Amino acid sequence: MHKKEELWRRIKKFRFAYLFLAPTAIAMLFLHFLPVVQGIYMSFLKLDQFTIGRYLLAPFIWFENYYEVLFNPISPIRIGLFEAVRNTVIYTVVVTLGTLWVGLIVALMVNRRFRARGLIRTLFLFPWIVPTYVTGLLWGFMWQRGIGIINVFLVDILHLLPDKPFWLLGPNTLWAIIIPTVWRYWPLSMLMLLAGLQAIPEELYEAADIDGATPWRKFWMITFPLLRPVWAILILFGIIYNTYSFNIVIMMFGFGAGFPGEWGDLMMTNIFRNTFQRWNFGMGSATSVVLLVVMIIIVNIWFRYYQKAEEIRG
Amino acid sequence: MIKITHYMRQRIIKRIIDVVMIIFLVITLFPIFWMVYSSFKDNTDILSGRILLSRAENAGVEMAADRGFIYVCGADGAVSKIDKTSRKIVKHVSVKSMATSFALDDEYIWVVTGDKGMKQLRKSDLKKVGSFSYHLKDINVSKIASSVVIKEGGKLWLSLELRDFEKVLEFDTSKQKFTSVIDIQNELSPFQVVSMAKYGNDLLLGGDKGLLVVDLDKGKVVSAYPIMVGSITAKVWDIKLHDGKIYLGTSSGAVIFDLKKARNSKVYSSASGLISDHVNKIMFHGKYMFFGTNRGLSIMDVSTGSIQNLDKLFIPISSGKTSKEKLTSGAILSLIVDGSTLMLGTTAGRISYIDLGKGIPSDWFQLPLGHVLVKWRNYIDMWYNINFGLYLRNSFIICGITMLLAMVFATTAAYAFSRFRFPGSNLASNLILATQMIPAIMYLIPIYIMFVKITLITGLPVKGTFFGIILIYSAFFIPFSIWILRGFFAAIPVELEEAAKIDGCSPLQVFWYIALPLAVPGIIATGVYVFLTAWDELMFAWVLTNAETLTIPVGIRLFVGNYQNRFDLMMAAATVATIPVMVLFFMLQKYIVKGLTAGAVKG
Repeated sequence: MHKKEELWRRIKKFRFAYLFLAPTAIAMLFLHFLPVVQGIYMSFLKLDQFTIGRYLLAPFIWFENYYEVLFNPISPIRIGLFEAVRNTVIYTVVVTLGTLWVGLIVALMVNRRFRARGLIRTLFLFPWIVPTYVTGLLWGFMWQRGIGIINVFLVDILHLLPDKPFWLLGPNTLWAIIIPTVWRYWPLSMLMLLAGLQAIPEELYEAADIDGATPWRKFWMITFPLLRPVWAILILFGIIYNTYSFNIVIMMFGFGAGFPGEWGDLMMTNIFRNTFQRWNFGMGSATSVVLLVVMIIIVNIWFRYYQKAEEIRG
Repeated sequence: MIKITHYMRQRIIKRIIDVVMIIFLVITLFPIFWMVYSSFKDNTDILSGRILLSRAENAGVEMAADRGFIYVCGADGAVSKIDKTSRKIVKHVSVKSMATSFALDDEYIWVVTGDKGMKQLRKSDLKKVGSFSYHLKDINVSKIASSVVIKEGGKLWLSLELRDFEKVLEFDTSKQKFTSVIDIQNELSPFQVVSMAKYGNDLLLGGDKGLLVVDLDKGKVVSAYPIMVGSITAKVWDIKLHDGKIYLGTSSGAVIFDLKKARNSKVYSSASGLISDHVNKIMFHGKYMFFGTNRGLSIMDVSTGSIQNLDKLFIPISSGKTSKEKLTSGAILSLIVDGSTLMLGTTAGRISYIDLGKGIPSDWFQLPLGHVLVKWRNYIDMWYNINFGLYLRNSFIICGITMLLAMVFATTAAYAFSRFRFPGSNLASNLILATQMIPAIMYLIPIYIMFVKITLITGLPVKGTFFGIILIYSAFFIPFSIWILRGFFAAIPVELEEAAKIDGCSPLQVFWYIALPLAVPGIIATGVYVFLTAWDELMFAWVLTNAETLTIPVGIRLFVGNYQNRFDLMMAAATVATIPVMVLFFMLQKYIVKGLTAGAVKG
């Protein structure tokens, strides 16, 4: 009884905080919580163009959607799912690590004294301001086989390759979507890592200099460990955002009209196509729920690792 | 041997890193440069894989000799004044147009362009003394390929080489204005005028289907004659009057046309010794008649009718290139005789001299290269082809209101999180971060169906309205905004607020008068970031908007689906979509960088 009163008293004390939180809470309830619950519920329904009229009263089929998505090799939604998963994994890993390393290298380069430092730092941010749909469109144009500038450079000017390769066809497509994504997102990594670098106290390097440490050792023993909070966050958000990447791929292939092909398809484009072009909302929901579960597992692993690392560091 | 000191090594390494950095900067910025650069290119250049901007064709389309000078007029709108004896350019002036045509009189050169109206140049110093626009409301100037003009007496007649432009404009040189527009709709319509001649009080118009006779008194077409050579309709490239006969240079040979009998009285085609049937120009000189064809030159003795072919003197070279091996090249577009020398203007911008007495090429002369073609028109064409104004407006409305709404919600919530450790604050903030893990498509499916359902039940439109999309966007950007704004509020010293509280301020007053003003930079930064993200959103906008509320990403996506080969327009659209966010970013760059990095470093 006493405990309950105590809680009530505290809630009353913080009524102002609750008042401030109320609009957000309501918005989140209706536009985050409700749709997610619906999404999970819908994944148990047989929801296609015939039953969509009844919406939530559509036939409840338990785990049939999940069976279709995960285990039935001949279900229509399974077409291309394996490729999409494979591509998404490669894409996410390469893009996340790629943006991190490119960002780190450039951050180290611009974290020195040189002329026009502010201007050059700003110029390095340019790709990050280009909207992602423009990125997809622009690189789709640059990857064109015959007329694209990349092939013109590689073959006509530098003569690196004997023949112009297809970039938007076959396994090359994976590179054709990875490189633009890295190009678009590394400035953000650089920005964050640069802020992290500037927070590292100069004395550490001076002490290392006295001990006669090589730059290489200084990087691995001081810079990299001290940047851990930044790159850990970058890896976490990199994994989340890149797994859910959509714009660049959808704009690049067939210039927004076509199917990306088996090496260019990602989870999001796959689900989007299966949901809104085949009107298979139930299976689409089931696939997204599976994706969400996988993501929750990954994020949990990340937190475990991060917490352990923090504990070790003390 | 120089000993490399430690200091020198440091300097060298620094230089190397500088160079690597600059190279990397260039590579990084190249795609953006390429986007903007390609938006100024001609699409045919893009499709043929040319890297450089092309130049206007500098073919010599008109020549005239006058008082010791020769005036050579190029298709690129350039006029060169050439000294007759030294054969050097004395003066060169260009109005920078394309496929221009010219009319010359004793005092002036009239330059008729498709896109820039008509210009009047004085012959003596090539100075522009007049400029006249056509004031044509119902035609898309960007489509004009070329123009055609003749001058006789105090009047100029001109037409634009456009298939559905069936008008002839009359210009009075003494009144210095366009006096009338003659409609030339006729039984051969649509008719494209490519040549003209004055015939008594009539105007002869040659075009892609034949010959028109316009009575200038009545101001209309009195008769139309299709020109047939064999069974082929011939395009009339040139009309010349000689000895009361009408000579036509056509795409199927030269034709003498009898107006009274309305038929060809004589045809000179490849069978009669002309190698190329495509006759661009006809000229009479003494007893000779010259045919400037697509492959070279043929000369006919008018009295005997025997044709001598000089094509072997010509080696075809492509436009803009120079070849020193042979003296003449390309298709012949203009001819004049000056004394005993024949001058030929060709497509490759080369003027060739042929000694008429000996019948051999004697000299040549290369016109300056045409101006670089920067196609600003792509940006205008883009607005013709996509409803870009609407998309831009929609994007601004949606992103702007979203930004405001999300900021109102997120500021209050972030303040509550940063100042109070109320029961459930940890859970709430974790939940808010957890929303970032949910794939957007998982919301999209229920929200899409929900919107459709709401409309079905209540009759209120939700899907496809600004209201619906703004609501969704605002809700989605709240979590991330809270995350960034918390950092800003945390950075504001609590002591200030405590002092205000002691002075008797209510919590609301503390928030409004103390915390909020101090957090304004952070709010601006977050707001701009929300704006940029909303500007970039494609998936929700694709599903939840309709034709009236389309945003730029969806508009561009639809556009590229429909015009797959119009890379020039695509790049123009991409550039226009990028510029607003770039401007916004650079105006507020400091705040944004600070805001984002503050959140990151704190974790």
